[in-house]
Amino acid sequence: MSLLSMEDIVKEYDGVIALDQVSLRVERGSIKGLIGPNGAGKSTLFHLISGVEKPDSGKIYFKGKDITSMAPHEISALGMGRTFQTLQIWGNMTVVENIMAGMNRRLRGGVLSSGLWLPWIRRSEKEALMEAKEILTALGLLGKWESMASQLPYGKQKLLELGRALAMKPELLLLDEPASGLTLTEMRQLSEQILQIRQDGVTIFIVEHHMGMVMEIADEIAVLHNGKLIAEGTPEAVRKHPQVIEAYLKVKKTNA
Amino acid sequence: MKMRNKSEFRKRDLFYLAPLWLLSLIAPDPYLYHKKEFKKKDLFYFGAICLAPLIWSDPHFHHLMVLAGIYAILALGLSLFMGYAGQISLGHAAFFGIGAYTTAILTTRYSVPIFLAFWASAFSAAMIAYFIGRPILKLKGYFLALATLGFGEIFLVILRESTDLTGGVIGIFGIPWFSVLGFSFDTYLKQYYLIWGVLIGLFVFSKNLVRSKVGRSLLAIAASEDAASSVGINVPRIKLEIFVLSAAFAGLAGSLFACVMSIANPEAFSLGFTVLIVMMVILGGMGNLYGPIAGAILLTWLTDVLSRYQEYSLPIYGVILILLLIFFPEGIGTRLNARVIYLIGYWAKKKKREQGKF
Repeated sequence: MSLLSMEDIVKEYDGVIALDQVSLRVERGSIKGLIGPNGAGKSTLFHLISGVEKPDSGKIYFKGKDITSMAPHEISALGMGRTFQTLQIWGNMTVVENIMAGMNRRLRGGVLSSGLWLPWIRRSEKEALMEAKEILTALGLLGKWESMASQLPYGKQKLLELGRALAMKPELLLLDEPASGLTLTEMRQLSEQILQIRQDGVTIFIVEHHMGMVMEIADEIAVLHNGKLIAEGTPEAVRKHPQVIEAYLKVKKTNA
Repeated sequence: MKMRNKSEFRKRDLFYLAPLWLLSLIAPDPYLYHKKEFKKKDLFYFGAICLAPLIWSDPHFHHLMVLAGIYAILALGLSLFMGYAGQISLGHAAFFGIGAYTTAILTTRYSVPIFLAFWASAFSAAMIAYFIGRPILKLKGYFLALATLGFGEIFLVILRESTDLTGGVIGIFGIPWFSVLGFSFDTYLKQYYLIWGVLIGLFVFSKNLVRSKVGRSLLAIAASEDAASSVGINVPRIKLEIFVLSAAFAGLAGSLFACVMSIANPEAFSLGFTVLIVMMVILGGMGNLYGPIAGAILLTWLTDVLSRYQEYSLPIYGVILILLLIFFPEGIGTRLNARVIYLIGYWAKKKKREQGKF
């Protein structure tokens, strides 16, 4: 059974069909890529999966559960982490606090017990700090653990966002254009990091605008064009698919 | 008459700045406020609070600090909601009023012991905040501000009109002094220790709260609600919890206010009062727990000093607020250090430039 599956998703904005009968599956332990030209509906699909928006019709299942009408925090609490297309770190916190906030669903503590700083809160905070530092070490951000997140350079902030999503120990990780705005070296580092994450048993669903990086790391790629799924398969098969070539070429022509 | 030499004037200014700079050494550290552990400085503040009324044994000063302490409790709660969770509330005067009236009604009509009435005040303010908060916390930004403002106004109307329960515009008199186990807090000095004791307790509670999971959730919500819910933070619930908590703080403050003033009447809980409290939070500095306390002391003291100038007091008050906001945009509690160092640097540079000219 697939970890994530979508059936006949339809989403309309004021008469414009953003997604038209899209069905997709993400298998456990794989890296799935979703590509497509601008305005193909990739981000809309991500919003629907993470619960920020609701589809007009169709169903979304995660770990066999129907998550179509669940609130975003309920969906992420099931074990779905995500990063955002426009960077969304919490600049008002330190680097390590960003990671610790990412662990939120695994930590204990309500308002009263935290305010009274009861023994188990003290213990869980201590453990959380240790674990957060381990995550930062893996990302190479440990040297900056006490500086404000807003003071990090852009590439590091992107890494931090990834670290935050990992801190919640997700089973599925949604990456929304992780390579945008990165330099080539940073992109290569990111690819390695993503492969490493998969090795640790996390399923990854990645949306990218640039084809290069996804082609390299994904096991399977789906192509969206004008809200329709036009191709799905291994990177090689997709690369040769006539409709895909046409879609990308057309965009190039209109751009030129 | 001798003309004043300009450069001499600047030298003296530097001299005036020196005590301010000394003050800044003990003020909360601007860039390290996010290290939320307790520090030696906290011990210093604690000592200063304990000794201040003994050194300065003027009853008027005691009374002023009692009021400042009560406002600080209210501002502390509000700063959790505004400074940390990044929401706006213009209805906290109402929760303050609910606390005061609960104490007033319970003690004068039903002769409930004041110690119980004190907790009942927090509870009733929290309960009302829960039922109000559930629908209105779905609103964001200015809409939330307007909704809470509306709540405050409705509360005032209810206070004035339900004469049987609240005594209408006249209010309720003869609220007894606060007392615990037969010990009555009947002088300003005793009240000072009572209120600052409560304030310190609530401060420690808040400080623990902001360095825990809850505090991180609050900051996360303030920065990006989408990102917060993407890691499983239940945004509506945390917002409601912190709204209820800050209302409970306001209820406690209101109860203490009723005991100290021994009267509760609607005039004390009007929009003007809400604005004053919000000013305390903003002037003191958002996202910092020392800020609201500093703001409360400053504004209470300022109002008192200016009351001597009668009709000129309001314009002077306004000008001072504007100047403070220009020179301390992030609050006097957050960036005192940095601002003073900046000002000294600015003075020094200006002096150098002038010397270069001549």
